Amino acid sequence: MKALMSLGALIGVAGLLLLGGMTFGVIPSTTVRLVEGYMPIQLLLEIASYVIGFTGLSYMLSAMGMALPRFWQGIGFWIFLMLYLKFRVYPPIPFSVRAMYGTVGLVTVFMWVSANEEDWKKFKQPIMNVLDAQTGMNRLLRYVYLVLIPILIGGFSFNAMMPKSEEPIELRTVHPAPPASTKVHGKTYTLQTSQNPYRVNPEGKYDQEYSNANIVEQGMGRLMKPNANPWDEKNQGYLKYVREGGEIFFQNCHFCHGDNLNGRGLHAFAFNPIPANFTDPGTIAQLQETFIFWRVSKGGIGLPNEGFPWASVMPPWEQHLTVDEIWKVVLFEYWHTGYYPRTWD
Amino acid sequence: MGLLAGKRVFSIVALCMMVGLLLLPVVVALPSLAIGEETHAGDAAKKDGDKIEKGRDVYYKTEGIVSGAPAPKTTDGVKDYPRYNFESRVLLWFANQQHLYYGSFVLAVPIFCMIIEFMGVVTKDKALAKRYDQLAYDFIKISLTAYSLTAILGGILIFTFLTLYPAFFSYLSGIFRPVMHIYALMFVAESGTLYIYYYGWDKMREGFLKWIHLSMSVVLNVIGTLLMFLANSWIGFMMSPAGVDEQGRYLGNIWHVIHTALWNPLNLHRILGNMAFGGGVVAAYAAYKFLASKTDEDRAHYDWMGYIAMALGVAFLIPLPFAGYWLMREVYAYRQQMGITLMGGLLAWLFIIQATMIGILFLCTNYYLWQAMGRMRGAEKYQRYIKYLVFLLACGFVVFITPHTMVMTPAELKAMGGQQHPVLGNYGVMSAKNGGINVIITTTVLSFVWYMRGNKVSTVSWAKFGNIFMGVFFGCAYFNIIFLAVYGYYIPANVRVGLSVPQVATTLSCLFFMFALNSVMMRGAKQMGAIEWGKISARSQYALIMLATAFTWMMALMGYIRSSVRLFWHVNEIMRDNSPWAYTHTVGFAANMISANVLFFWITILFVFWLGSLTAKKVPVESKAGIPGSVPQPAPSH
Repeated sequence: MKALMSLGALIGVAGLLLLGGMTFGVIPSTTVRLVEGYMPIQLLLEIASYVIGFTGLSYMLSAMGMALPRFWQGIGFWIFLMLYLKFRVYPPIPFSVRAMYGTVGLVTVFMWVSANEEDWKKFKQPIMNVLDAQTGMNRLLRYVYLVLIPILIGGFSFNAMMPKSEEPIELRTVHPAPPASTKVHGKTYTLQTSQNPYRVNPEGKYDQEYSNANIVEQGMGRLMKPNANPWDEKNQGYLKYVREGGEIFFQNCHFCHGDNLNGRGLHAFAFNPIPANFTDPGTIAQLQETFIFWRVSKGGIGLPNEGFPWASVMPPWEQHLTVDEIWKVVLFEYWHTGYYPRTWD
Repeated sequence: MGLLAGKRVFSIVALCMMVGLLLLPVVVALPSLAIGEETHAGDAAKKDGDKIEKGRDVYYKTEGIVSGAPAPKTTDGVKDYPRYNFESRVLLWFANQQHLYYGSFVLAVPIFCMIIEFMGVVTKDKALAKRYDQLAYDFIKISLTAYSLTAILGGILIFTFLTLYPAFFSYLSGIFRPVMHIYALMFVAESGTLYIYYYGWDKMREGFLKWIHLSMSVVLNVIGTLLMFLANSWIGFMMSPAGVDEQGRYLGNIWHVIHTALWNPLNLHRILGNMAFGGGVVAAYAAYKFLASKTDEDRAHYDWMGYIAMALGVAFLIPLPFAGYWLMREVYAYRQQMGITLMGGLLAWLFIIQATMIGILFLCTNYYLWQAMGRMRGAEKYQRYIKYLVFLLACGFVVFITPHTMVMTPAELKAMGGQQHPVLGNYGVMSAKNGGINVIITTTVLSFVWYMRGNKVSTVSWAKFGNIFMGVFFGCAYFNIIFLAVYGYYIPANVRVGLSVPQVATTLSCLFFMFALNSVMMRGAKQMGAIEWGKISARSQYALIMLATAFTWMMALMGYIRSSVRLFWHVNEIMRDNSPWAYTHTVGFAANMISANVLFFWITILFVFWLGSLTAKKVPVESKAGIPGSVPQPAPSH
């Protein structure tokens, strides 16, 4: 048990040193890379490791007779969480999300320190000591808090009320509900039932299973599958259409959506918001192919009322591309990202 | 003897009267239904010179005889939308929400009474049976005052409809004309049954008569549930109309109008929601009384009452997210646009708030259970592990509430490099969220299991094996839930949606198998100490109040979301809302409005509680102080 706890303590100390380094800018946060494809679970595992590390550390400190009071354990854990979110995770997390996580962290710490009466008493003790002010030090602290707390509250209030020149925050509806049908080049497409005419098997029939088997593999690097190279001139059918779609993409779309379809093209940062990142699992992976067809055809100007605040400079591509070209480029996007279009069957 | 026989006859007659009341609306309505349809069809035929016009059902795609007028094409003006110098929609929203709160409460509480009264009847421990009976009586007493308030609020709602939305209400009542009176008669039946049930409590408290009384509660709840189903059919029709043609003309089949695409999922969701809400409100009542108690005896009683109400509420809360999931699936199946507007588009922000509220409910429940372990000796062995449960809950909660598209300043957006965060954005999609909520629910089940065995040590010969098995089972369940959540990213969306089934099955397996196994293991278990009712911390009671407040807030929020998804339609794709208020409110306004509704409800329900306390009689009870874990006995008579 002691050996395990020592190991835990070691992890805890190493983790704290690493985080300290990141906080003070000595170590870049990319030192321990967040690996694409595993990032969300990696993050949770990292925090779990910290919790194990802190348990070990607490145990060892107690064994050495230097137990950290519960009050400081609670406060310390919350500060750790805030520093971790601010300095460890990259790219930077917006304040609104850090505030949400910080609140959850605060509630969590409260639940932990007050889960039973004994712990709660231990946690409250330093607060009660300051309020009771039986010693000179506590009396001094009480006066300090008496001055500091109103100043802090006043500062926050002032900050909140002070007029700001920043652009306002917008709750943007990124995926507005599509219409039931859309008319492109004189033909009406029902979004719920239409299919990409180029998602076909060697027999020329619509076959999503076949195309799914030939897309790039997700995870690290997004590698092409063997014998599924669209740029191999011998390949016909689905892969040929992907190639054609790719050509259209690199002639028209990659300037904004990027070579890797991650929304970081040459012109991307001239726009606000920057263009859609198709490699994110929350964009095209969540949508029907017809949804993408509709958005590409109609562009930002064709966003429905619900798409408030209509922040998109995407051109209505129906004015520049044929219907076939639009379908092919959509096909390429799914192939390249390794995502499957949503279906409802 | 003669008196007893008389009572029996009286009771049986009363029960028969209730069944009669239940059947009365149906019997009365059947002929009128038939006449109504013929008259309608006849009227339509007369108008067209004996030519019967047929229409095609917008949902069922069947043909039917046109038996009603088309949906009115309203225009903005005093004719269709008479108004005060105020937004009519807000007034209607308020009236509707208050009626729904009280309606839910008075439908849920009798179900609790039925369950608790039944527990009292079947339990062999006389003292415990008495306590259950008293508790059931306390519950129904609370609901009685709320019942009349429900009726008053229902009246206000109808007047609000009539005065502010006459064209719409006239159309809706025209469509539902055949069942409008059934609804009214059901309400009469509900009232009659409730009063007989309540006032017959003392006279029917023993033996056979008690069973008759219990049967009355069954009848009462059948009526209440049917009432709710009928009310649900109206909102179901507004969201996913059926039984009418494209112009909104009634086609003579009232079952089609009632049985719309969303009716059944709405029914299930509302039953579970009402029960969870009712449990929350009663638990808050008990918490309030606990905190205000002056004696240990009262504290013990209200501690116990709060626990039972919370346990019942949470029993219905656990399956609630799954029922919600079914409802959303049906919404997507009915209209993809509607589903996207709800969960990915215009109303997606409200869903994030909803996720937060669901998380709060489960956090409160877990916290209460941990606090409750503090009043039983022997539970200390579990308390040092609570921090790991806190961690699991926090991880599930954080994943569950992370928005896919984050609120940020333009500068933050640029620093982040896109609308979605490459790490946290992954928590914003359904696959992760299903994992998050299932982890939360499984942890809640684990907390319950710990609570149930808190002061006991199993004496069965296979106790060690049982404990290891339980540990491994929970471990595998967590692994399976998280694995499926991760795996969901690597498969097509239609398959991913199906993954929720094994995830839910895993959670429910924990619930049913582990509860059952724990009960078997704890049969004849050694008691480490008694449950000291009343010795629970005050924090636990605030958790109960928080639980109830979160229920009420979430209920109003979901009601708003469900209603808003129709956007600018009174009846989706049939009758357009042409009032000046046919736009979606901002999230901030909606949140303020919801809070105002919640505040008003709690103020009025406090008044109801106060009224209920005026009738309470304090009767000294026999002391059971010698028995460990005993709870002061309730008053033997009312």
